[in-house]
Amino acid sequence: MTRRRRAGNPRRRRRVGALAASLATAGSLLVACGGSSGGPVKLTFYDQPGSATATQANADACTKASGGRYKVDYQKLPTDADQQRLQLVRRMAAHDSTVDIMGLDVTWEAEFAEAGWAEPWTGANATKAKADQLPGPLATATYQGKLWAVPYNSNTQLLWYRGDLVKKAPTSWDQMIQQAQQLKAAKKPYYIEEQGFQYEGMTVWFNSMVASAGGTILNDAGTKVALGPPALLALETMKKLATTVADPQLANAKEDDGRLAFESGVAAFEINYPFVWASMQKNKPKANGVDLAKNFKYAPFPAVKAGSPAKSTIGGIDLAVSPYSKHKQLAFDAAVCLAGKTNQLIGATQGGLPPTLKSLYDKPPKDFVKQYPFYKIVYRQLLNAAVRPQTPAYQSVSIAISHALSPPAKINPEKTLTSLKGQISDALDSKGLIP
Amino acid sequence: MSVAADASEATAIAGQPGAALSEGAKSERRLGWLLCAPAVIVMLLVTAYPIIYALYLSFRRDDLRFPKQSKFIGVDNYVTVLNSPVWWHALAVTAAITAISVVIEFVLGFGLAFVMHRAIWGRGGVRTAILVPYGIVTIAAGLGWQYAWTPRIGWLWSLTGGGAPLTHTYQSIAAIILAEVWKTTPFMALLLMAGLALVPEELLNAAKMDGATAWARFRKVMIPVMKPAILVALLFRTLDAFRIFDNIYALTGGSNGTGSVSFIGYDNLFVALNVGVGSTISVLIFVCVAIIAFTFIKLFGTATPGRDVEGKR
Amino acid sequence: MAISAKQKVGWSVTNLVVIAWALYAVWWLVALSFKTPASITDGGSFWPTSWSLENYRGIFKLGEFKRSLINSIGIAIISTVIAVILATMAAYAIARLRFPGKGLLIGMSLLIAMFPQISLVTPLFNIERTLHIFNTWPGLIIPYMTFSLPLAIYTLSAFFREIPWDLEKAAKMDGATPAQAFRRVIAPLAAPGIFTTAILVFIFCWNDFLFSISLTSTTASRTVPAELGFFTGNSQFEQPAGSIAAASVIITIPIIIFVLLFQRRIVSGLTSGAVKG
Repeated sequence: MTRRRRAGNPRRRRRVGALAASLATAGSLLVACGGSSGGPVKLTFYDQPGSATATQANADACTKASGGRYKVDYQKLPTDADQQRLQLVRRMAAHDSTVDIMGLDVTWEAEFAEAGWAEPWTGANATKAKADQLPGPLATATYQGKLWAVPYNSNTQLLWYRGDLVKKAPTSWDQMIQQAQQLKAAKKPYYIEEQGFQYEGMTVWFNSMVASAGGTILNDAGTKVALGPPALLALETMKKLATTVADPQLANAKEDDGRLAFESGVAAFEINYPFVWASMQKNKPKANGVDLAKNFKYAPFPAVKAGSPAKSTIGGIDLAVSPYSKHKQLAFDAAVCLAGKTNQLIGATQGGLPPTLKSLYDKPPKDFVKQYPFYKIVYRQLLNAAVRPQTPAYQSVSIAISHALSPPAKINPEKTLTSLKGQISDALDSKGLIP
Repeated sequence: MSVAADASEATAIAGQPGAALSEGAKSERRLGWLLCAPAVIVMLLVTAYPIIYALYLSFRRDDLRFPKQSKFIGVDNYVTVLNSPVWWHALAVTAAITAISVVIEFVLGFGLAFVMHRAIWGRGGVRTAILVPYGIVTIAAGLGWQYAWTPRIGWLWSLTGGGAPLTHTYQSIAAIILAEVWKTTPFMALLLMAGLALVPEELLNAAKMDGATAWARFRKVMIPVMKPAILVALLFRTLDAFRIFDNIYALTGGSNGTGSVSFIGYDNLFVALNVGVGSTISVLIFVCVAIIAFTFIKLFGTATPGRDVEGKR
Repeated sequence: MAISAKQKVGWSVTNLVVIAWALYAVWWLVALSFKTPASITDGGSFWPTSWSLENYRGIFKLGEFKRSLINSIGIAIISTVIAVILATMAAYAIARLRFPGKGLLIGMSLLIAMFPQISLVTPLFNIERTLHIFNTWPGLIIPYMTFSLPLAIYTLSAFFREIPWDLEKAAKMDGATPAQAFRRVIAPLAAPGIFTTAILVFIFCWNDFLFSISLTSTTASRTVPAELGFFTGNSQFEQPAGSIAAASVIITIPIIIFVLLFQRRIVSGLTSGAVKG
């Protein structure tokens, strides 16, 4: 209500004042007259705050491009992904008509689709949304054959390493661990940074490992546990890392802990998202006289199994339209605009978010190449990405995974795999408690 | 945090002269209702529905992700929760955190109360200082402790010799207890200090003259007088500690098996969106809290807050 | 009684230990807020190697933080005023008057104080959506005053029982009605207790995190504890420890001021109700 008041014209503002005595009446009247007062329709767009400047620029650009048809009002969601989802879910469960466009994390689509909290994209809308999109990001927005959102930005983890310590980038996890052990023996910085805290990042790690070992967590329909031998190999590799050359902080490490550790000079390798590159160039840390920024090198996500291509888990945001929006078609149009080429380029250069559009990688603009010298690796990884399990029960599945694998040093591959299968099964049936 | 029974006993005092003025008895009764009405109405309006609604949901299968499957399922949710190792683990963690932190707080709080009561100078400074942990915004304090343990950033990380804090269950629980004890010992200490103030000095001196040891004086003279204060302090803190959430949220996020009952309640309600099971956990937490309160009052019997009003008179 | 130098030293050491225990962690947070992003990984030093106001400048540059500060102050003050008024009336009745239903009122307050708040959030959200007060000041003021009422009634009724109530009787004998006695005699005597209760209630409202993250969605009503969850670093994965520390320090300042100015009152407020029977 207050939001409307702030954006409203003077006439509406006076009306609010007059009706302040009766909140309920004032509220319903305001809803009733929202948008009917001429001028552009206000479309409220909820998205994560991590790249707020770029997102705001996108919103303004689309407002302008609409030629007065609509105004995109960007509202920030909290920093924490669980809190973001909670805010949106509460509003959807309450059939809130003040939400028009939602920035969904790539793991929420199935849940929102199943619960009826996202409007499906069909016909011309779907065609526009799919144009130029890479297959990896598009897969995250698709559930049971239908499109539920338009990919807005993406993310993928690369291998970052110290050029002064490592001559040739490892191509597999075994190689990387071996190189780190040699560095350790030579009394040089050797830690490998990964995300081993009990949270979504742990699931991302496991998913990448299973996919790289040639398997999946769930079957294709997302209804049953798959796992099997690839998962066993994944768990063995994770345990090997955790018990040898990982940062001792592994069990407590999130993305930013890896970045900080690497910038402090204790690590030789780091698996992380491209934000670490921008930070390294900005902070230019020195450790024992070594200019870390100069020696900051990148390589593709390492392979787990010989002969099986490495697959890094895909992240990012897809834009969905709320089924309770009063202006669905305008919201579809605005979402397509937000996810368009110029806006994705703004997101990439100002917000550090990898784009989802093929043409941006095929003919990259100069400032994109400058900020993303590793764009080719990102591109290849997005073409051949690992998508996280697509099931409405994803959150429970993910919690079951991160809970079963925490702390990583305590993984007992065969036993962990058995208990993991049981827990994921329960989560899929929404049986029992989540830990 | 609660209106203890002492308020009602006060009637006994207030009532006597009121009874004499039988003319005023009626208007007094009306005024009583009138004065209480706004508070009662507000509390009823805001909480009655949510509490009853939570109770109602606990008997339903109600998962926001599967809205079509909502139905009444009797006590199934209770069976599910009570059969789940997750619940019992969380209950054990909660009980451990509650018991250990309350005991430490009691011992430290007693020491602190003694310092504040007896210090020959600087009492004001000490009282002011310990009110800061009490008043500081819980989430800010929680984040402060989290940063304190963060590698390369935190002082506790340096102090404990680097390494990897908050990665093992016991270590993490200890860190949670430390944060909890730091924040709430002042409250305990202040209540105990007020109790100490009630101990008559002459009685202590007389006991000393009779040759009673310090321990005997403490046990035989101070404890009985302070009993109501001790009960209130322990009761409030136990009830509060049992619902611990913020510090766990800030420090470990429930990882390494540090989730309390409130924490799994939160996770099942807001992460899994399983409203039925989440509400069931809430109701069970409430039942546990009620059992704790009841046990305390039974154990201490007439020493319930306020009961002594009549006793003394 | 003469105080020996030895005693004095002993107490000084004891006092210092207690003060250090209470304040070190807070001081460290203050120090953290003055460190630059580059010096933040200094192993938790007690004193910043180089002082910088960067974090403070950063958060105040954001309109959102200022806005949430205004929300925090406004919402806490209004909730406190309303809660204290309602509690004063109820506490007076509880402490002084005889009427049936008192036990019920006390039981109800107990229930409210003991019920796990997390389970009330979802239904409250739904109610507020229906009434169109979600994400408004009233949307937070209402739960804040409700959940601080038990604390306020409890503290106040304890204070009221200590008021020399012979004065009230005298006023009644002079022909005043119970209502007049309340207004003219008891209210002024009760002012210190009411003020103390107001401080405690304010701290309670100021501290809330759960309701604020659950019942707000924009800066229209979001308070600072919740706003901390919206702070971002240079990218979505970076944790802005410095700015969060700075914001935490800002919201601790009012608490420090209260404590410094009203230490005695807060102590009496916390203790009188619980103990003196």
